[in-house]
Amino acid sequence: MPLLNDLTAAVAAGKRTDTVRLTQELLAAGTGPGTIVEQGLVPGMAIVGEQFKKNEIFVPEMLVAARAMKEALKLLEPLLAAAGIMPKYTVVVGTVQGDLHDIGKNLISMMWRGAGFAVVDLGTNVPPEKYFSAAQEHKAHLVGLSALLTTTMPAMKETVKILKAAGLPNTKIMVGGAPITQAFADDIGADGYAADAGTAVDVAKKLVGEAA
Amino acid sequence: MTSREKVRRALNHQSGPVPVDIGSTGLTSMHVSCVAALRQHYGLPNHPVKVVEPYQMLGEVEDDLARVLGSDCVGMKARGTMFGFKNEDWREWRAPWGQVMLVPKGFGPREDPSGDVYVFPEGDTSVPPSGHMPAGGYFFDAIIRQEPIDEDKLNPADNCEEFKPVDAAEIAHWKAELTRLQGEERAIVGGVGGTGFGDIALVPAAFLKHPKGIRDVSEWYVSLVERRDYVHQIFDFQCEVALKNLETYANTFGDLIDVIVICGTDFGTQSSQFCSPATFADLYAPYYKRVNDWIHAHTKWKTFKHSCGAIRPFMNQFIECGFDILNPVQCSAKDMEAPRLKADFGDRVTFWGGGVDTQRVLPFGTPEEVRAQVTERLRTFSVNGGFVFNTIHNIQARTPVANIVAMVDAIRDFNAGK
Repeated sequence: MPLLNDLTAAVAAGKRTDTVRLTQELLAAGTGPGTIVEQGLVPGMAIVGEQFKKNEIFVPEMLVAARAMKEALKLLEPLLAAAGIMPKYTVVVGTVQGDLHDIGKNLISMMWRGAGFAVVDLGTNVPPEKYFSAAQEHKAHLVGLSALLTTTMPAMKETVKILKAAGLPNTKIMVGGAPITQAFADDIGADGYAADAGTAVDVAKKLVGEAA
Repeated sequence: MTSREKVRRALNHQSGPVPVDIGSTGLTSMHVSCVAALRQHYGLPNHPVKVVEPYQMLGEVEDDLARVLGSDCVGMKARGTMFGFKNEDWREWRAPWGQVMLVPKGFGPREDPSGDVYVFPEGDTSVPPSGHMPAGGYFFDAIIRQEPIDEDKLNPADNCEEFKPVDAAEIAHWKAELTRLQGEERAIVGGVGGTGFGDIALVPAAFLKHPKGIRDVSEWYVSLVERRDYVHQIFDFQCEVALKNLETYANTFGDLIDVIVICGTDFGTQSSQFCSPATFADLYAPYYKRVNDWIHAHTKWKTFKHSCGAIRPFMNQFIECGFDILNPVQCSAKDMEAPRLKADFGDRVTFWGGGVDTQRVLPFGTPEEVRAQVTERLRTFSVNGGFVFNTIHNIQARTPVANIVAMVDAIRDFNAGK
């Protein structure tokens, strides 16, 4: 459908006004909110993720695209809820205890939302028990831990240990942040690691069993 | 050869002993806990360490410690702090990790029963705090105090409150610093502020009581795309003020300083960049060039640019803008391998950093691993000068003292030809 393609292009380019207008036009034309998300917004954010991975766009452009998507979702979410359409997967995300940095965590949250995941954002400085209770409450498929500081890497390790010991058999744990590496993720027993917000979508999809 | 001569040779790309900087700036120093641990290790007088930069909780590397560490550089001490209060009226404070240190009177702080610590702009507790150290933390982060944004009423002047002509008190402070450093044999590193364009650490303006304009970090990044004219207008104003102030500083400092820190704006992330080279060319390069050109035309100072991350795509642009020195040379980031950097750019810029990885090897490696990396970096970067040894950014809290000592020993042995 041309309008859906236009919406995809508008989101990918971060054109907020166009994104909202096209979403309204699609709704007025009788397109279901689920279709608009799946065939308009999600492909748009997928383009953003790919461009980010290839260094064709950068943090500012990604933020602008995510804002455009967010505006569209404001229109669509009440309709999705009314129609009983729920995201298939839920992610609980936060920056670990002792760490107040949130740009990386926010970017990844936006990309996950853009991939159709429900995201429960616990914010920064999150103690292990808060991750656990949120994962339990929301039946999370994935818990995402972020850390920017070398001094909070031990808190990430501790959180993974506690979450693993607490027993959440259906919840995978994913980690990321500037000083985090695949080797560190393996060492602390995380199920997944991503070096950037674009890759984080692919890794999350693999972890929940959805082909990336 | 004096320390200053060593540094000058390196900056002029002449071979010789590798000079070292540990502690001359807020970008090349270490956490207050590390300073105390090193003082104890080396048997230096045991007294509370001064926190000279409260945002990152950097401790003062006093002359006695600098000598033991082999540092060839000394910094001019800043009068103000990231939180707007002055570095004066020192008093003792016990940090949450138990260390007793000296902090300026304006530091406060407010300590919550939860263990969270808050500091206030200019030390004024009648306004909301601007800095927050979470329980279990070792540093502060700026608290975002963004007023609601009305696009129609956005005024670039609101983002320019901090850019002012230098006043007499400030000049008197710098003159006193020069007097303190008279006869100094180490290279003197100055940093006067106001020349950092779009430094994301400064955007929230933790030093202002009521910051206006764009002060939220994400909102600032969005502005680089959606409000580029607004950002240009800020940079235009900032640049004009900076150039006037540089005139005053040049008259005050003359040739007494060797290096001036220009800008700490980070253009790199661990694996990418914060903007494209095209954005850099449009939005940043013209201002950097004006500042560097003015300095080179009127002084002998070498200009120092700090940017973390994977900045290889900007290296030629940094050099073309006139920067003489690059710091911290984050070799752990993508495409930042030391041998390639040295081979491709080493004859045109001085690497002030890159000595050892502070994300992994220094905090988490063994002393043997530290020694091996330090020695390898010294071999790589020291060829034909163009290298001042410094860790990759400040040494972080919880770094084992044995690792820092291994680093210092490795440098000393390398310079002794061992």
